[in-house]
Amino acid sequence: MPKVVYVGGSGQEHAVDGAVGESVMATAVKNGVPGIIGECGGNASCATCHVWVRAEFAELVGEPDDLEQDLLEMAVSEPRDSSRLSCQIPLSPELDGLTVDVPPQQP
Amino acid sequence: MLRQDINELLTRTGPGTAMGELFRQYWMPACLAEELPEDGCPPIRLKLLSERLVAFRDSYGNYGLIDEFCAHRGASLWFGRNEDGGLRCPYHGWKYDTTGQCVEVPSEADNSSFAENVKLTSYPLVKIGDVLWTYMGDPATQPPLPEFEFALTPPEHHYTSKRWQQSNWLQAFEGGIDSSHVTFLHSGGLRSDPLFKGAKGNQYNLNDTKPFFEVADSDGGLFVGARRNAEEGSYYWRITPWVMPSFTMVPPRGDHPIHGHFWIPIDDENCWAYSFDYHPMRPLTEAERQAMVDGHGVHSKNIPGTYRPEANMDNDYLMNREKQRTGEWYSGVEGIAIQDSSLQESMGPIVDRTKERLVPADSGIIKARQKLYRAATALRDKGVTPPGVDPAHHHVRSAAVVLPQKEAFLAAARDDVRVRPGFPISSV
Repeated sequence: MPKVVYVGGSGQEHAVDGAVGESVMATAVKNGVPGIIGECGGNASCATCHVWVRAEFAELVGEPDDLEQDLLEMAVSEPRDSSRLSCQIPLSPELDGLTVDVPPQQP
Repeated sequence: MLRQDINELLTRTGPGTAMGELFRQYWMPACLAEELPEDGCPPIRLKLLSERLVAFRDSYGNYGLIDEFCAHRGASLWFGRNEDGGLRCPYHGWKYDTTGQCVEVPSEADNSSFAENVKLTSYPLVKIGDVLWTYMGDPATQPPLPEFEFALTPPEHHYTSKRWQQSNWLQAFEGGIDSSHVTFLHSGGLRSDPLFKGAKGNQYNLNDTKPFFEVADSDGGLFVGARRNAEEGSYYWRITPWVMPSFTMVPPRGDHPIHGHFWIPIDDENCWAYSFDYHPMRPLTEAERQAMVDGHGVHSKNIPGTYRPEANMDNDYLMNREKQRTGEWYSGVEGIAIQDSSLQESMGPIVDRTKERLVPADSGIIKARQKLYRAATALRDKGVTPPGVDPAHHHVRSAAVVLPQKEAFLAAARDDVRVRPGFPISSV
């Protein structure tokens, strides 16, 4: 079971065990991690599950596709190079320990 | 949601704005030809992209679109006298031709060259179909004339109307690429409107309220595909083309005429909704044309002598709660056009998109905003000509087709979504 660590704005950490294949967004929502909403249900439409992926995991997580990229550019309040929509990151055994920062504000 | 800075960028179209410059790359409707019905007729006032202009047709039949205000002391040339080859300000008699060139300043001596040095801003005005088109950008980059099929069919094959909408252009346009509202807002019309009813596709529409959306790039903009369940093993696809910046076509229904829109900013809080219908293969029937004139289909019933709909924000769009209750008019407002405008105007003059909540059915809107944003910033920062300027990009049609489930919609419908002279619209 890959573990995901969500870091909030004031540094508080939520470490959660996720299931392989489930998204980083769904894992957060099921475990009540604050700051990740996932309003559209994981369809890369609402941008309310925005996270910043820590640099050491960037390569493993990969690049966003076109639609996700559009939303990251136009819909999130503080886009960075490390921005991803967490609904578009499925968990895999390699991602065990994945650490993401949760922005202070979701759209 | 959309970031506030991007909402600002996409909605402001006055001179010098990024989106305003984008609009100024295209030929676009300035007014209907019927507004200047004959040589030497009265001029009309127009505001386009926040610029106040006067359009006139001189005594020789030349069309002109010039600055509304006389170069002398700023009086409106709407009061002008349309005289021999020019428009004369009635205040002190200065006269201008259709290029904005001042040709006479009566107070000056006969041998004076003063008038030669006075020229008002002017834009070309060209009649194609029922529309007078203008191009408000740099003359050096003026593209060839537009080639939209609706305007190029014989006059008896098409009909065009317009109405004033009291909202920003973008929220009006977004309705045109959002096929999912049709099942709700326009459900009454699918059953009863003379220009919609009777098509087999309507049943697919009404039976499946959860369309799946797929969006594909086109040369000039996008194709937005809305997929609904049809018979076993097949899908009913409604394909909406968008040509930048604001031309859309509604997917067809049966053998009804096909229709679409142009949304043109008047200023940042008002726009013109142009609505057209045409049939590529045959003249419109008397009954069809009459239904359009009466405000059915995508057209509106306007206050006589104006382009303001009879049902407007000042009378709550003639809301009828009884019809809303029975579902005859799903929202209680009559007619497709006003059903749309009532809700789009209710959002406020420029909707605050930082507060919206988008869902997967909005993927066409997400993608269109992104294309507008990219095109406007690429033009501003690097001078890149945007999609949709090339007239070849105008040769698109909407389509309503049943395709095998395993087929990718655009690959399977490639021929259905382009203009093929002599071929009917692809429609069920």
